[in-house]
Amino acid sequence: MSPQKSTGVSRRQFLGLTGAAAGTLALAGCSASSWGFRGAGSKTAEITYALWDANQQVGYQKSIDEFQRANPDVHVTIEQIPYGNYQQKITAQYISGDAPDVFWVNTPWLGDWAKGGLLTDIAPRAKKANIDFGQYIPTLVDLHRDGSKLWGLPKDWDTIAIYYNKQHLAKAGFRTPPTDLAWNPEDGGSWLHFLKQVTLDHKGRNALDPAFDPGNVDVYATAMTNEFQAIFGSYLAMNGGAMLPHAYATKSVFDSKANRKTMTFLTEMLHAAHVLVPNGETGPNGNSNNSQTIFASGRMAMWQAGDWNTGSLAGLSDFHVGVIPLPIGPKGRISVINGLTDGIASNTRNPEAAWRLVQWLGSEKSQRIMGSGGYIWPAIEKLDPLFQSYWKKKGVDVTPFLTEAQGKVVNFPVGTGMNEALSNVETALGPTFLGQKSATSGLASATEILDYRISYATTT
Amino acid sequence: MTTLTKAPAARLARTTTATPPVTRGVRTFLYVIVLLAIAAIFITPYLFSVMAAFKPLSEIQADRAWDLPSHPTFDNFVTIFTQYKFGTFLLNTAGVTIIITIGQVVFSLLGAYAFARIQFPGREAIFWGYLSMLMVPNVVTMIPLYVMMSKVGLTDTYWALFLPYVFGTPYTIFLMRQYIQSIPSEVIEAARLDGCSELGVLRRVVVPMSRPIIMTATIIAVIFSWNNFLWPLISTSSNDLQVLSVGVANFNSNFTSQWNLVLAGSLVALIPMVILFVLFQKHIVNSVNLSGANR
Amino acid sequence: MTQIAAGRPAIQPAAEEPRSTHSSVRRRSLTAYGLLAPSLFGVIVFLGIPVILVVVFSFLKWNLLTAPTFVGLTNYLDVFQHEGAGHALLVTFYYFLLNIPVQTALALGMALLMNRRGRFTALIRVLCVLPYLATPVAMGVVWQWIFAPQTGVVNTLLHFVGVSGPDWLNSPGWSMPVVAFANIWQFVGYNMLFFLAGLQAIPPMLYEASAIDGASTVQRFFRVTLPLLRPTMLFVLVTGAIGSFQVFDSVYVMTNGGPGTSTTVMNMLIYQNGFIGFRIGAASALSVILFAVILVVTLIQFRYFNRRTVYELV
Repeated sequence: MSPQKSTGVSRRQFLGLTGAAAGTLALAGCSASSWGFRGAGSKTAEITYALWDANQQVGYQKSIDEFQRANPDVHVTIEQIPYGNYQQKITAQYISGDAPDVFWVNTPWLGDWAKGGLLTDIAPRAKKANIDFGQYIPTLVDLHRDGSKLWGLPKDWDTIAIYYNKQHLAKAGFRTPPTDLAWNPEDGGSWLHFLKQVTLDHKGRNALDPAFDPGNVDVYATAMTNEFQAIFGSYLAMNGGAMLPHAYATKSVFDSKANRKTMTFLTEMLHAAHVLVPNGETGPNGNSNNSQTIFASGRMAMWQAGDWNTGSLAGLSDFHVGVIPLPIGPKGRISVINGLTDGIASNTRNPEAAWRLVQWLGSEKSQRIMGSGGYIWPAIEKLDPLFQSYWKKKGVDVTPFLTEAQGKVVNFPVGTGMNEALSNVETALGPTFLGQKSATSGLASATEILDYRISYATTT
Repeated sequence: MTTLTKAPAARLARTTTATPPVTRGVRTFLYVIVLLAIAAIFITPYLFSVMAAFKPLSEIQADRAWDLPSHPTFDNFVTIFTQYKFGTFLLNTAGVTIIITIGQVVFSLLGAYAFARIQFPGREAIFWGYLSMLMVPNVVTMIPLYVMMSKVGLTDTYWALFLPYVFGTPYTIFLMRQYIQSIPSEVIEAARLDGCSELGVLRRVVVPMSRPIIMTATIIAVIFSWNNFLWPLISTSSNDLQVLSVGVANFNSNFTSQWNLVLAGSLVALIPMVILFVLFQKHIVNSVNLSGANR
Repeated sequence: MTQIAAGRPAIQPAAEEPRSTHSSVRRRSLTAYGLLAPSLFGVIVFLGIPVILVVVFSFLKWNLLTAPTFVGLTNYLDVFQHEGAGHALLVTFYYFLLNIPVQTALALGMALLMNRRGRFTALIRVLCVLPYLATPVAMGVVWQWIFAPQTGVVNTLLHFVGVSGPDWLNSPGWSMPVVAFANIWQFVGYNMLFFLAGLQAIPPMLYEASAIDGASTVQRFFRVTLPLLRPTMLFVLVTGAIGSFQVFDSVYVMTNGGPGTSTTVMNMLIYQNGFIGFRIGAASALSVILFAVILVVTLIQFRYFNRRTVYELV
């Protein structure tokens, strides 16, 4: 059966139907206002700001206190929603007209929310307010843009680098680890050589030693887990490949010759050299769930991850943590970069106040508070040293993340249906990462589902 | 009605065993061993999480998470009550739980009695209607329900937290119906012949004889609403209405995992449940015995 | 010889009440509907209407944000062609088969064992129910610790006896049994409660009668206990089956459906379609399919357990 053409039920009618059904809910005597939290009589605009991270909430509360001092006619309440249900809840609230006025937007949902009309296009307002886009790390503005439309101002960014265990690397002979390592999918390059040098078996022999016992490895060099953003996305780019050719593309370029080589390198060649934590250890389908624990417990020497982990790692008691940049690939050193933005619900009752808040959060004043508190890398480039020096004082030199952001980067893939597509890709690549299927066949089935998701989401 | 003081099995054991004391001693010993083994299986995995609740995050991450804490600390508990409003979460959850439990047990009992013991047109159809509601996964009904509640302005209110559950659930009604069906019909008929109305039968005969199942249903209702997650999460937004399960979920995000707080919070949440269960469980086994009524 | 009525079926009009006059029938119906009124209201409004809407949704293409379009039966075909509904149904059946027999037998056995007074037995009962009381999210991480391939509890113990354990959660062969084990662990104590309650309804004189007749313990179990537990058994099996077909939490926290899709059960697929992909139509169609499967299984169980209603006890 082919999909029949629509008999156009509009969303309005449809919600009307739902509403009519709800009409049966004549709950006589249940006055919502008696126990509820509706309405505030005064002239101040009440707006809600939704986010999901408990740690950053502390910083944003400070920033918003500052905002309210400058804007006494706006009152902002922060609502924290667990990350796992964030997208669902914002969507449900939005279709009922109860969405938070301003809320964090993560890139995997951006395409669907933009296309679904949930977000306000702030391009006209930004133009009128004369926002200086030159102050931001350049690629971040593009991340939240679709043609002439703009969904938010850059607030922060994340790149991927490699945390390492200083004690272990010193034991393996590297007091200061090299930062000019290079990899290639043919023989692994100096990177693979280095990985072998820091993988130690139970007798302290490294993986270059002919007597090395791969069945009794005490400390692996690192892990290559089934995760796009922190792990394989950057390697794909460094070998000239990608998942999507550009933002909002309608067809992926995932199953390319270059990508097949890269994935074979990550999932087959490195494992064959016994330098990686077996992916069965790292999480379901070989994903990154347990990576941090494995690193923190000293069972791997290095952990390739995003900068947001710095806080948890600085608190480790067993060893000190350093950071080195990603190895250099055939096309240079390229990191995936991503950043959050603050979206405005298109049906907010306070568009004016919401815009003022968004403008504040994108401003130097707010990002200075967030950067100097060590919460985020500010999207405003000149403020980044604040974050850097905060963590320097805590004993972690996070400079490689910044160096990478200022070098070659590749944006997190944006498009409709991407959130689900990425989760499906992880499932499809699971057997590959677990060593149950070849990289080539994993990539083929991942691409199939990826393209299906994109085309399903783009055709209505 | 006579009330027996001994549970049937124990009574049975007394009347039937003519075994010498030595054999009985061995049997008791075996019984204790078997029970301890069962208990060990059930308690051990949970003990790991209890131990982890007394560790700092770095220790949970850094070593075999399930080992004994090397430096036990109460910091996690202090944090959840001072930096987060865990006290408020507890109160909210307790309030909602009390309301839901009372409503569910009372209304379910009424419905269950009607299904089990009264002939009326439409009984089978309605019963299967109820039962079929259990067969639809609740993830899909969540969003339509949210939209409905929103249309009548009840989202983000205390009402939203308990209204969908307070009128009795098909699950509990089914449970109670099964039990009430097994009450000997002579007892009910006798009460009816004595001139009892249906409500009278329910109150004087069925309720006293159904104590085990009422207690079971109470425990189920309490634990269900205490741990309920998705609906409170979606239906309320204000921090003042937040419940335990959502509060605990908020300790983790894609940026920060605070398993130490999650486990401490879960442990605090568990304690009232254990106390309640200890108080209630004896009523399941040691309550009024039906046989008395059957004599 | 004792004749007792047990597990009186709801299906056939049982002869509980003598046939009576028209007005008394009416009065009885009124009473019944009066008793049912609160739950009827709750069930219709908070469950019935959403369920009907779900059926309607299953014929639409709708992502909540853009206007829904009517697509007929397309979703029902799509979920088999593109979403792997057939595989998920098989996986769900497999889980059901792993879960229900073991869980039910263990729960019944434990109830028989613990159906006595005394503080010690009471304490053990509490410990057995503890897993059910615990928050699922806390247990999820604990299972990761227990089944981790190198540092997990199980494999550490196996290592002591010289066995190298498999990668439990990431092996296609082990992952489902391990998930089933965790679920049984969580719910056995809970189901034991129902059997314990059910055991209280069995008149001790029946045991006495059959003991006098010289029945052994085993015979008493099959002739008295089991037949008289039928109503409870029906409840435990029906709700257990419904729970198994809708399993989600333990799969989500332990394997997230993997490795590959080897533990992707129906409810996980529904979650992925509805809550990650926002394909409300597909998620609804999957729910309707799952509903139909559960309904058939439930009908079979009712048929079987209501077959005989009066037991002759020797």
